[in-house]
Amino acid sequence: MRATKHLLLWTSLGALLLLGWAAYAENFRQEWRLLQATYRDRLPADRRAEFSKQLRQIVVPALNAADRCVTCHLGMSPGDTALPGDRVFGPHPNVSHDPAQFGCTVCHGGQGRATVKADAHGDVHHWPEPMIPRRHAYAGCGACHTHLSVPDTASLDRGRTLFERHDCLACHRMEGRGGTLRPGGAGGMEGPDLTAVGGRGYDPGWDAGHLAHLEQERAGAVGVAAGGGASRGGVARPWQASFAPIPTADLQAIDIYLGSRVGAPGLVEAKALFHSIGCRGCHSIAGVGGDDGPDLTREGQRDPGQLGRTHSADGVAATGGAALTGWLTDHFRAPARVVAGSAMPEIGLTENQIDMLTFYMMSLRRSDYPEALWPKDRIRAERFGEREFATDGPTLYGTYCAACHGRQGEGMRFPGTTAFPAIANPDFLAIASDDFLRQTIRRGRPGRRMPAWGEKEGGLRPDEIDAVVAQVRRIGGGVQARPDPRPARWANGEAAAGARLYADACASCHGANGEGGEGPALQNRVLLEAAGDSYLFETIRRGRRGTSMAAFSDASPVRRTLEDEEIEAIVTHIRTWEVKR
Amino acid sequence: MNERSRLAPEPMPRRDFLGLSAMTSALVALLFAGIGMMRLPKAAVLPSPSRRFRVQIPESLADGEPYVPPGRAVALYRRGDAVYAMSTICTHLGCIVKPTAAGFDCPCHGSRFGADGSVIKGPAPKALPWLQVRALGKNAFLVDEGRTVPSGTVVQV
Amino acid sequence: MSQGQGMKQFLGNLKAAPRRFAESAWRSGAPTTDRSRSSFVFGNVFLHLHPVRTHRWSLRWSTTWGLGIASVSAFLITLATGIMLMFYYKPYPDVAYNAIKDIHFVVPTGRFIRNIHRWAGNIMTVCVLLHMARAFYTASYRKPREFNWVVGMVLLVVTLGLAFTGYLLPWDQLAYWAITIGANIAQSPREVTDALGMTAVFDPGGLQKLLLLGSEDVGAEALIRFYLLHVMILPLVLVMLIAVHFWRIRKDGGLTRPEDADRRVGDPGSIHPSFTEAPQKTYHLAAVVRGRSAAVGRGPEATVPAMPHLFYAEMAALMLTVFVCLLLSILIDAPLKELANPGVPENPAKAPWYFLGLQELVSFSAFMGGIGIPMIVIIGLALIPYLDRETRGTGEWFGGPGGGRLVAWSALFGLAAVLAVESFAIHFGWIREWWLAAPQILITLVNPGTVLTLIYALYSMALVRRYDSSRAGALGLFTCFLCGFVVLTIIGTWFRGPNWGFYWSPAYWPGH
Repeated sequence: MRATKHLLLWTSLGALLLLGWAAYAENFRQEWRLLQATYRDRLPADRRAEFSKQLRQIVVPALNAADRCVTCHLGMSPGDTALPGDRVFGPHPNVSHDPAQFGCTVCHGGQGRATVKADAHGDVHHWPEPMIPRRHAYAGCGACHTHLSVPDTASLDRGRTLFERHDCLACHRMEGRGGTLRPGGAGGMEGPDLTAVGGRGYDPGWDAGHLAHLEQERAGAVGVAAGGGASRGGVARPWQASFAPIPTADLQAIDIYLGSRVGAPGLVEAKALFHSIGCRGCHSIAGVGGDDGPDLTREGQRDPGQLGRTHSADGVAATGGAALTGWLTDHFRAPARVVAGSAMPEIGLTENQIDMLTFYMMSLRRSDYPEALWPKDRIRAERFGEREFATDGPTLYGTYCAACHGRQGEGMRFPGTTAFPAIANPDFLAIASDDFLRQTIRRGRPGRRMPAWGEKEGGLRPDEIDAVVAQVRRIGGGVQARPDPRPARWANGEAAAGARLYADACASCHGANGEGGEGPALQNRVLLEAAGDSYLFETIRRGRRGTSMAAFSDASPVRRTLEDEEIEAIVTHIRTWEVKR
Repeated sequence: MNERSRLAPEPMPRRDFLGLSAMTSALVALLFAGIGMMRLPKAAVLPSPSRRFRVQIPESLADGEPYVPPGRAVALYRRGDAVYAMSTICTHLGCIVKPTAAGFDCPCHGSRFGADGSVIKGPAPKALPWLQVRALGKNAFLVDEGRTVPSGTVVQV
Repeated sequence: MSQGQGMKQFLGNLKAAPRRFAESAWRSGAPTTDRSRSSFVFGNVFLHLHPVRTHRWSLRWSTTWGLGIASVSAFLITLATGIMLMFYYKPYPDVAYNAIKDIHFVVPTGRFIRNIHRWAGNIMTVCVLLHMARAFYTASYRKPREFNWVVGMVLLVVTLGLAFTGYLLPWDQLAYWAITIGANIAQSPREVTDALGMTAVFDPGGLQKLLLLGSEDVGAEALIRFYLLHVMILPLVLVMLIAVHFWRIRKDGGLTRPEDADRRVGDPGSIHPSFTEAPQKTYHLAAVVRGRSAAVGRGPEATVPAMPHLFYAEMAALMLTVFVCLLLSILIDAPLKELANPGVPENPAKAPWYFLGLQELVSFSAFMGGIGIPMIVIIGLALIPYLDRETRGTGEWFGGPGGGRLVAWSALFGLAAVLAVESFAIHFGWIREWWLAAPQILITLVNPGTVLTLIYALYSMALVRRYDSSRAGALGLFTCFLCGFVVLTIIGTWFRGPNWGFYWSPAYWPGH
């Protein structure tokens, strides 16, 4: 009996102790309470009294968000005082979306409902949407925005260079630079900040406006000289005289550059890079692109817990968003080392490019918010079928072709795959008609890596194919096809002799039955249909400089020279494959 | 040997301090747990949406006409260059008042407010509060339902 | 009567109101005499299931180890915390998970209370199982307690049902896939009906699943059903059965004790408060009620007033349970995984630990593991009191022919058998690995689970013959099944990894 009473006494006291501890921990030891105490101590004395230690949150029912981030990040809490310069309590940078209206997690990721740092930032197990690392913060835009008409890197660079060369930064600010004419002086900057000009409805008529100002200034000066009062339209400003006409080509480049400025510095550049090195040739995003590689539409939303990885790109222990960026970075460095059996080649990127691509991958996080909340660009891209990238030749080529055919059409060779043809080869372009190129792009090479871009889902539209053809000519040095008076089918040699010659001269590279090997496959329905006899004939006769395909009409010590009749016989032999099918 | 009857109270035992303290501490622990649990129903955060919202006043809004943003209990007015906002939640018992030509009428208990929100009639104890408004340019304003301003405070466009 | 007097009376009544209130609440006055203590017990709606006097044998720790009271304490804790959680929980798929997150992060004391609820649920399951083992090993199921043993069996099933239905409510990955598996176990009679080719006309499996889920898949319908079961139907059933269980304990003569219990508890010594004089009438109620009451035929020196002695013991068991719950809740958070994703199963998708033994069996055959063998076990357990009609060893730990030695040997045999069968199946695989075209009915009938059950049954039969006693067979069988359950649970918990493969430790799991 005594023992029972002792048991009761001590378990009761123990329970009381545990309850006391729990109450203490609940009311005094929670992370956010300690942080808020620090915050209150650092507040100006007159604000301390009105500060109440309590949970804070931003609720956005439409986004199903209840973000308690502001419980600790009090500088961003509506109604609390920001402590400028502080890592935790500082104000939110001035962005186009008010955090009080949109919440935090919609852009930054993380676990808005959590009130513990590790959980909130997503650095824990069982939370698949970690915070986007600060370095790549603008990747969050990708949750809703797709952006439109992003050009390739070269166009962007050209526009930026011209923007700077024409001294626009004297009056305008751009991504934190410029406005140097009168930085913060009386009356502020002369020109508007252009950081997000593309996102606010870009007006390409600005140049005309500038020139009108110039005219006005001149007229005003004349007016003043004539003894009149103020010039029309207000006071003439001294800088208005500094405008000068800009050449049309430069203007176009600057237009492209300015149109791409949506207030997410770095993200557009990263996206431009993605659309300059041919990634969509294999990967599709939102249904646009090839299907050799995995779909990347939600690549930035991958669950770090499923990556089997616990370190960042620098090999430092990391979880959550840092683990995901680390995975992506390592993957770009050497795909096969991260994904066993990955078919993706090492594309020879610089560390800077890898970082940009990682950034862009992180931005691929299309959320499933109701369509009514989508921004215009996403509606236009996903519902009206507008492209998320520019549809000029260079960007299209950079988007679809560059990975395999090389950024300059020089062809590519990756370990484990057959070589990809150098399509900018002048010898090739000289005999390949535009129609041949169009057909090739449209119908691809069945059975080979080249997809039928004009026929497949997510491929190219007819006018886009035309633009790509023009771009191929452009990177080939402007070589046009020689006009060919002969009909498409004229070869009428002796097929049997052709077969013998083929076996001797061609089979070692193109395969005994034209199935391809070191050289391209010749027994290919689309190739044989699209290529005229002249194309085949001339290719054999003149070869392709810079490739293994020699000019068989030229004398050579290592193989026999082919006469025109012999070549015609080979062409006839090749044509027999077409008949067979 | 003093036989005590079952009906007679026992003399106060000397040695049952242990039993008493054990039972008492058990009851105290359970009581404490119960009180702790009673804290749970009082929510620490309320699931109400942000009380700050952005509103676009239509160009066509006439001087002195109320503009009620959809889903909000707020009336915005423009008089000349001045813009101000008033809560339309009756200070009596929380019904939504209806803007009229003369001011506001409450449908529930007959309170009536003037154009500036002051109580004219009925049980309402206080005037309708004026709310903080910030101009964002181009007829856009940021209204904060959580912050009242003195009656008559306007924002200049 | 003058006016002043009426006023005086009123004031007097007003003054006396608190005292009279107390008197009316405690009708028998302060429990300072044996009689007032008795009336305190039987005059109180919450206490009247207790006997007025308790045998001292019942108060020995080793008689019950307090397991029954611990079980009911854990249930009361889950009841209190569960009601609290209902303030915030919303049983709809799109908000349930967020509700749990809110309970974890922002509800005052929410996280602690959810942890307590979770741990109390686990403790309840453990205590109920151990309580059953205690009742079995002390042969407490024997006449006249056969029916209470069966009620206890149903209570065990309801307890497991409560645990299982609570599992879905957080709507996380763990929940979703555990319930998907559970629902398909409910559907597994199809394994047999398919083999017999009669699913089209007779499909109890499909009906069970449909009733459980209200749909083809685990979704909003399933969630609301599980919620209803968890917070309403099963608790009501449990409370009613607990009442019956308690009532029967009294009516069946209190806790079992050996015939010579009076002698063995010895001299009462100085217990306070102690028995004062010979009772005038201890069985005035028992005279009109059939059966035996606690005090009949026993010397008064062996019994003590339930108030306060039994209450000390009960409170001690309660507070110990509370203490353990609180301690675990402070140390270990209740798990919450990712939001349920019907597209990506957990790998491995594990049920709660108390079902992992079953899951191990299910991995051999869904029907046999999930329904067949559990049914055999439950029916077998329920039959024990009707097969064992012996009297030797009642109220004694491991009482009966063979005794502790038999139990020890049976434990050894049970462990050896389950380990042998498991190692064989893990190492060599089973029929399908050797004969791809094996018909399903063969695997349903012959799989490691059924083989193990058969081995245990044969062993038990051998014991019945050897000792010439059903109690000996029951002791052996029960011990074997207990060992099997423990070993299978351990294997399922710690040694099964992705794709239900065998791994010595989670450290060897392939990169997930």
